[in-house]
Amino acid sequence: MRTPAPVGSDAGEGLASPAVQETVSDINVMVAGRGGDGSLTIVTLLSRLLSKRGFHMCSTRDVASRIKGGHAAAMLRGSLQPRWSLGDHLDVVVGFDEQTLIEAAPLLRPGSVVIYDSSLGEPNPADIPEGVRLYTVPFGRMAVRDLRRELFKNSFSFGLIARVLNVEDSEAIAILSAHVQRFSEDMAQANIDALKEGFGFATELGLEEGAGPLPIQKSEHKKRLLMSGNHAAAFGFLAAGGRFYAGYPITPATDVMDWLRPRLPEFGGVLVQAEDELAAINLATGASMAGVRAMTATSGPGLTLMLEGVGNLGATELPLVIIDTQRSGPSTGMPTKPEQSDFDTLIYGGHGEFPHIVLAPCDQEDCFDISFQATNLSQRLQCPVFLALDQGIGQNSVTMEPFELESLEIDKGKRLSEEEVAAMEAYKRYEITDDGISPWAIPGTPGGMNLTTGNEHDEWGLVSTRAANRELMMDKRSRKIDLAHDLMPKARRGGVEGASIGILSVGMVCGVVREAVERLMQQGLDIEILEPRTIWPVLDETKNFISSRDRTYIVEMNHEGQLAGIITGQGVAAEKIHSIRKVNGTPFGPGELVKEVQQREGAHDRNV
Amino acid sequence: MTVTFKPASPIWCSGCGHYGAESALKQSLGNLAIAPHDAMVLAGIGCSGFIQNYIGSYGYHALHGRVLPTATGVAAGNPALTVIAAGGDGDGYAIGCGHLMHTFRRNPSLLYIVMNNGTYGLTKGQPSPTAVGRVDHEHELDAVYLGLTIPGTTFLARGFVGQMNQLVDLVDSALTHVRDKRGFAFLEVISPCVTYNDNFASWRGMLTNVDADDSYDCENRTTVIGNYAELIAGGKVPSGLIYQGSASTFEEATGLSAENPPALQDLSVTKHIDAYRRQMDMHAI
Repeated sequence: MRTPAPVGSDAGEGLASPAVQETVSDINVMVAGRGGDGSLTIVTLLSRLLSKRGFHMCSTRDVASRIKGGHAAAMLRGSLQPRWSLGDHLDVVVGFDEQTLIEAAPLLRPGSVVIYDSSLGEPNPADIPEGVRLYTVPFGRMAVRDLRRELFKNSFSFGLIARVLNVEDSEAIAILSAHVQRFSEDMAQANIDALKEGFGFATELGLEEGAGPLPIQKSEHKKRLLMSGNHAAAFGFLAAGGRFYAGYPITPATDVMDWLRPRLPEFGGVLVQAEDELAAINLATGASMAGVRAMTATSGPGLTLMLEGVGNLGATELPLVIIDTQRSGPSTGMPTKPEQSDFDTLIYGGHGEFPHIVLAPCDQEDCFDISFQATNLSQRLQCPVFLALDQGIGQNSVTMEPFELESLEIDKGKRLSEEEVAAMEAYKRYEITDDGISPWAIPGTPGGMNLTTGNEHDEWGLVSTRAANRELMMDKRSRKIDLAHDLMPKARRGGVEGASIGILSVGMVCGVVREAVERLMQQGLDIEILEPRTIWPVLDETKNFISSRDRTYIVEMNHEGQLAGIITGQGVAAEKIHSIRKVNGTPFGPGELVKEVQQREGAHDRNV
Repeated sequence: MTVTFKPASPIWCSGCGHYGAESALKQSLGNLAIAPHDAMVLAGIGCSGFIQNYIGSYGYHALHGRVLPTATGVAAGNPALTVIAAGGDGDGYAIGCGHLMHTFRRNPSLLYIVMNNGTYGLTKGQPSPTAVGRVDHEHELDAVYLGLTIPGTTFLARGFVGQMNQLVDLVDSALTHVRDKRGFAFLEVISPCVTYNDNFASWRGMLTNVDADDSYDCENRTTVIGNYAELIAGGKVPSGLIYQGSASTFEEATGLSAENPPALQDLSVTKHIDAYRRQMDMHAI
């Protein structure tokens, strides 16, 4: 039998002993069953409940790549401290099938609660670890028998969960009422009745109101947003004046398109669902050339198809924001599983050499800001800007503070007005300038006629293969990035400033690192965190962070240590970097990372 | 007047059919009084892909095969522009063929001129998808015939650089169709390659001008398909305005208008801040 972890924010809550009734400030819940069982509905209700109690939320889903049927799980972590990943254990499991128990068992610990739908049979005792409190309820059978609709089993089971969490019945009723207010009156009432039946059944099981085994804390409710990174990035683009999107559906990036589809037309923009990724990036290129702020989003396989188009944007000096919500590769890989293995493609992909930028958010909330900045940067520097998201950041939803819209400003860069063009003696689309950025007249501007081409060209845009011109143009294009490091999004820092040990990560790993470092610091290990939000170009702040301390752990979700390789490729000493990698389709857990760092630090101490 | 680029001198071989296509396009732009700054010519890769350098309007050299999605993007970004896509048969029917079908379906108001010469001239004479009898086991593609089978096509025509008066008329009609926002105008121009596939003479024998037939009804898709099938079964190739009809357009479907192009909107955050707040509230918990 596993014992509670010695450290950790979700440890030490007194859960090991039912006799100790400390309140819970960090809770992990899994609701799972066959796809279509309604796991997501229960998690939605729980989110509302926990949010009203002032909890932060992090929710993930693990759905097999099929529409209905198959095993589907929804997981939710609620905590008074903001968290960006699931914890190391499950406190409450609601299972509608046996598969749930098999998957949940290793994460259960004494004190955990399992509510199991026994309609299809009693659970196998071997699946339930010792010390776990099990409540078996024939949800499905009762819902059909007493409520005549299996559909109501969500409301029914919510009644049990509320009792487990020591939530007053009236509070649970209020939450469900708010949820069902969009239903017809009959349907809404039927759900409330089902909830009350759930209370009744809970009482029969000994779960009296006010005596729940996992009483959750109460803090002040604060209005927050609950958003995934894909959605936040789409929103950031819209707020930055993004008005054109073209894309081809691909897991796990499709949410970007789904979010923008109804909204762009509302703001005078256009969304085109393309026939493939080749069309998508070229559609977006066309719109961008016409003067619209444009975006496309994709994942690995689509990214590979888009690369010719990205190089073309570099050569033609056209802006575009390209989201890559990374998934497990290569090839079709594991489409619903997280990985961070496209960094090399994003940075080194495409033939020839061209200026481009790769940004990576450090959490879901940051997706809004970094997408806003990416849109501005693409216009300012007239080049493609990648946003390296990953399945975790892209699809997991977390609570975040409402975005500060007032301070946002649109950067128009060197876009010329009709009057400005008229006042010029001559207009050259690719004029050589000190900062490498040429003034830009969009089609339709009188006197601004020019040629845009992926061929090497002269200042007018006419094709040229002259050696002297080639050198001027290559220098001009690379100058745009070389002189613009100050404009790039800067890293977020955490942990102990100036510590001799550093830890660096991007995307979905950042939240796990924050929590792991918090625990390691509690154990007396000083670590400083760097979350570089610009990964290409590699900024001095990143190089200095590593060079100025004994060692830095780079934690990333790939096999080859791509991020570490990219940074050492820019002159940082490889021996200063300790690479921690994972590539099995599951995210790092905070406890797992703590252990890994402890082991390596132990080994290091022994070697010193 | 602001000085802009000086159109380059064509790279084409003397006698190349593409001179005819370029000349017809220039004449039509003049006939319809389209100002150079209001037009954008996008071309693909290949000999035909140089045409935009010779017009004096806004020009773009697309990636190989991708001229249609790029042109659709431009048309979406600014519907006030007259958008002309051009390219060859290798560009449009081989590497870019998928986009042609979807552009037929999408029906954006832009003109696509395919200069069909049945060969890859720039890479020195390899057979293209319209090469007749030059590749074993591969049959030639007829894109006009293909277009007839896709509901949503609104303008399908074929001209010949050996019949310049008709060609200019066809470009005029196609540009008018596009500027009236009636949808996608597809014009295949038979434009022989004098170096690798000089077949002016055989085309003259094969092309059958439907415009010259008073009984031909170009607005009836059913009879058009029947006529077309009969002609090609008899070893002929129809030319002229093959089909013109009405179907819902890309602009209608997306609510685009030339009066309020996405490219020219006021994007300031202040202007939209209340609308952005409403979006944010949808995610509040």
